[in-house]
Amino acid sequence: MAVRKPGWVRVWDAPTRLTHWLLVILFAVSWWTAENRDAEIFGRYAMEWHRWSGYAMLGLLIFRVLWGLFGTSTSRFSHFVRGPREIWEHVRHLGDRAATGVYGHNALGAISVVIMLLLLVAQVVMGLYSGDIDGIESGPLASKIEFDTTRVFAKYHALGFEVLQWIVLLHVLAVVYYLVFKRDNLIGAMFTGRKRARSETVERSDEAQLAPLWRFVVAVAIAWAATWWIVKP
Amino acid sequence: MFKREWTRHFVTAAATAVIASAASLALAAGAGDTIKTRQEGLKDLGAQMKVINDTLKTSAPDAAKIKAAAAKVQAHSNEISTWFPAGSGPDAGVETAAKAEIWKDPADFKVKTDAFVAEAAKLNGFATAGDIEGVRNQVRAVGKSCGGCHERYRVKKEG
Repeated sequence: MAVRKPGWVRVWDAPTRLTHWLLVILFAVSWWTAENRDAEIFGRYAMEWHRWSGYAMLGLLIFRVLWGLFGTSTSRFSHFVRGPREIWEHVRHLGDRAATGVYGHNALGAISVVIMLLLLVAQVVMGLYSGDIDGIESGPLASKIEFDTTRVFAKYHALGFEVLQWIVLLHVLAVVYYLVFKRDNLIGAMFTGRKRARSETVERSDEAQLAPLWRFVVAVAIAWAATWWIVKP
Repeated sequence: MFKREWTRHFVTAAATAVIASAASLALAAGAGDTIKTRQEGLKDLGAQMKVINDTLKTSAPDAAKIKAAAAKVQAHSNEISTWFPAGSGPDAGVETAAKAEIWKDPADFKVKTDAFVAEAAKLNGFATAGDIEGVRNQVRAVGKSCGGCHERYRVKKEG
């Protein structure tokens, strides 16, 4: 249904954008604190910050999954997860200079969204059970398992990060490609939430239909409580 | 004559090769055993530190568990001086995370390992006395002294 002719289309709501950029910041914090684990920051060991960063990420991921089920229209999985035919259709036009005409996540980008979310969840969960070789630093659930098992988790936690680095690199390259080659500014939209309208009229489904505030409050409360329950000492 | 000479040389060479390879195998096996003992000991150190840290995290730390683990930590700390004989480094032909620097700067290595021995003894002191808060503070000092060696003398591994 074509509704109106706006100059700009609201694509992403604030919670989705905030979640995205907080995940970016926490990814960097987790990376830095893991690489510099002997450093002290504001009087605390780097690994302590690493844990807090992971807890915050866990909360954000739970929130994002809930938001993908009950949140604003464009943030829902049902809005952007597509079948193989549509994905293939998108891939076929990757080389076109024209922008996709999609306002939210496109069929291919949806795969990377889902993969990144899954990998981040796996990464955080493995972190919960990881322990270092000296038995000093560990995730909050590592005390439930044997020393050797915490080492296995730590190894996969390290491997998981390497995989994530590649996926994130691919993600960044993709949005730069869309910006430079297709003149489709996905990066700006993730900051402002808006994209310039490319046609006379815009489908209602292209616009973010904001979820009511109470849903946001409930999703945050659930994410907070679940995280607390998981990481509590 | 020529043929005999050749045979003699061949036999000598073969015998030398056999003896040399047997000796080097024995040497590697010896170093391998040392490295294995060392690795098992260090691994158990990590496991015992985990036992202490795990129970410290709970609302009611288990003094008996701490006592048993701290005793093992101290016992291992006293074994360290036997764990790094010459020839048990990266050239031993067995996988080890011990760096060659250990044998290049043995004086510094001894300073660092002695520091750990001292901190481990203190830890055991607090544990024997059942002083949970003392253990809690001392565990950090022990951790630091572990790092003392590991930073410089252990191959950095992911995870």
